[in-house]
Amino acid sequence: MDGSAIDPTVLRPPIEDAAIERIAPAELRTRLQALREDGYMMLLDLGAVDYPQRVPRFDVVYHLLKMPVAAATPDQIGTPQRYRLLCGVPIENLSLPTITDLWRNADWAEREVFDLFGITFEGHPDLRRIQMPTHWEGHPLRKDYPLRGPAKERSPRPPFANKSNLVAGTPPSGRTAEALQQQVALRQAQDRKEEPKA
Amino acid sequence: MPLEPQGSQVLAQDGNAMVLSMGPQHPSTHGVLQIMLEIEGESVVKAEPEIGYLHTGIEKSAENLFWTQAQTVIERMDYLAPESNSLCYALAVEKLLGITDRIPERAQQIRVIVAELTRIASHCVWLGTHGIDLGALSIFFYCFDLRENILDVQEAAGGARMHPNYVRIGGLQADLPDGHVERLDALLKKFPTRMRELRAILQKNPIWQDRTIDVGTVTPEQAVAWGLTGPALRASGIAYDVRKAFPYSGYENYKFDVPTRTEGDAYARFVVRLDEMEQSMRIVQQARDAMKAGPIMIDDAKIAPPPKEAIALSMEALIHHFKVVSEGIRVPPGDVYQAIESPRGELGYYVVSDGNNKPFRVRTRPPSLYNLQALKGIAPGNLIADLVVMIGSLDPVFGEVDR
Repeated sequence: MDGSAIDPTVLRPPIEDAAIERIAPAELRTRLQALREDGYMMLLDLGAVDYPQRVPRFDVVYHLLKMPVAAATPDQIGTPQRYRLLCGVPIENLSLPTITDLWRNADWAEREVFDLFGITFEGHPDLRRIQMPTHWEGHPLRKDYPLRGPAKERSPRPPFANKSNLVAGTPPSGRTAEALQQQVALRQAQDRKEEPKA
Repeated sequence: MPLEPQGSQVLAQDGNAMVLSMGPQHPSTHGVLQIMLEIEGESVVKAEPEIGYLHTGIEKSAENLFWTQAQTVIERMDYLAPESNSLCYALAVEKLLGITDRIPERAQQIRVIVAELTRIASHCVWLGTHGIDLGALSIFFYCFDLRENILDVQEAAGGARMHPNYVRIGGLQADLPDGHVERLDALLKKFPTRMRELRAILQKNPIWQDRTIDVGTVTPEQAVAWGLTGPALRASGIAYDVRKAFPYSGYENYKFDVPTRTEGDAYARFVVRLDEMEQSMRIVQQARDAMKAGPIMIDDAKIAPPPKEAIALSMEALIHHFKVVSEGIRVPPGDVYQAIESPRGELGYYVVSDGNNKPFRVRTRPPSLYNLQALKGIAPGNLIADLVVMIGSLDPVFGEVDR
């Protein structure tokens, strides 16, 4: 076993899409600052990945691009260098320092990681949910979050929908299996009562 | 969404400032954008865009579909340029599979044609709606007429107007139908006339210039700080184009310019996009001339299902077809970042595979998200009426912003 089933990033296929570095949360800010001084002026993206079986469980991935900050022609741009920084975040301490003071566009990206993975960013000026409603519970892009969401969050169906679903034998969405069993039992009891009349 | 306005808590309510919620049903906010505005009289003191009204969980859905199926939902992110999404995703998966060099040449040429046509179609929607925002109604009909012609060509090739899912992992879904080159030629013939009309209506139009010149000016420093890409970055003077910087699908074989302006205002972004449409047509012309007959899908039964004709004759082909369809393809473990130049800027996919038949994680770098975020920096100090111009000139697509 090479461990790639638990963490695919340990295997580096020969793909040269960027310079790649893995870093600890404590060194994150100093390293990013150093890269910024080195000319990586553009933060392209900031995202996260959840590896449920790995320690540390989450990866926050920073994509940087070496970019001049003054007007430039295509020849001056050439082939700018890409840099990918992966930072492991353990489930016990879901917190990273913010980089919104270095790159202003990290604002929404960090909010999105907070919203969908539950990783907080210390010092972020406005850390609120961004994609999900403000009162939502849970973090949908975690691997242990159910694909269709928690059943209690769904609004109840109108009675006719439940009835037709029951007839078809499929559970109406938003209801638990136990509730369905109870309803089926109730219906069967009703049917049994009505039988002698017919 | 909760009923109370989300951004109200971050806006100070003192002095003469008034808090105004613009959207999410405002016609000029292009879809479902809400902006919490702090205004003094007519001018904006602070603008806080609120997104998420169109969040559909595409990244989560993609993790629960086969590699090939995930492309269907991914294509619906940027619904104005669907082929950009599927092309970028296909390129990322091909990199992981290690088959980037084995994609047939004809498939790559057709991919370029499709990607450039979708760019023009997307810019047509942008210009049409931008014109409506500013009160230039007729431009909408000129743009949508051209867009409809392009969608007809797209439909003939892929079978659907909006989301053809024509680009597939390993090549293309099918070869171009008979008479397709003639259809392309008719489009190529019509295009210059239509572009002349668009320029004649708007580019020298004093009303249009009054509304857009010196509105929403972005300096190169600001553009880089906010992570702007695409026409918005190039209008600020930085000629970064993924097609030139990191060529893919054989873009290095085509001659085209990267239009730039240095003003960085809404008018500059307008001119850059118009110039870009002409460059796109130039690329389409070159790719059309270079096209030769040949295969359009990689010859590897583990990745692409064998052609229908082979299935009737070969047991092995039938088994492969069954396996690819019912079980999906398997992609070696690893992670990769692949970017392309979408109509809105650098569209990137950070794809992680754990060796299974489903993607482990598909993280999108949506250009619209970062372009729209810059509104926080450029809107303050401008009039509300100009805010509409700025939103239009940044060209956000909410399927992509919210995903």
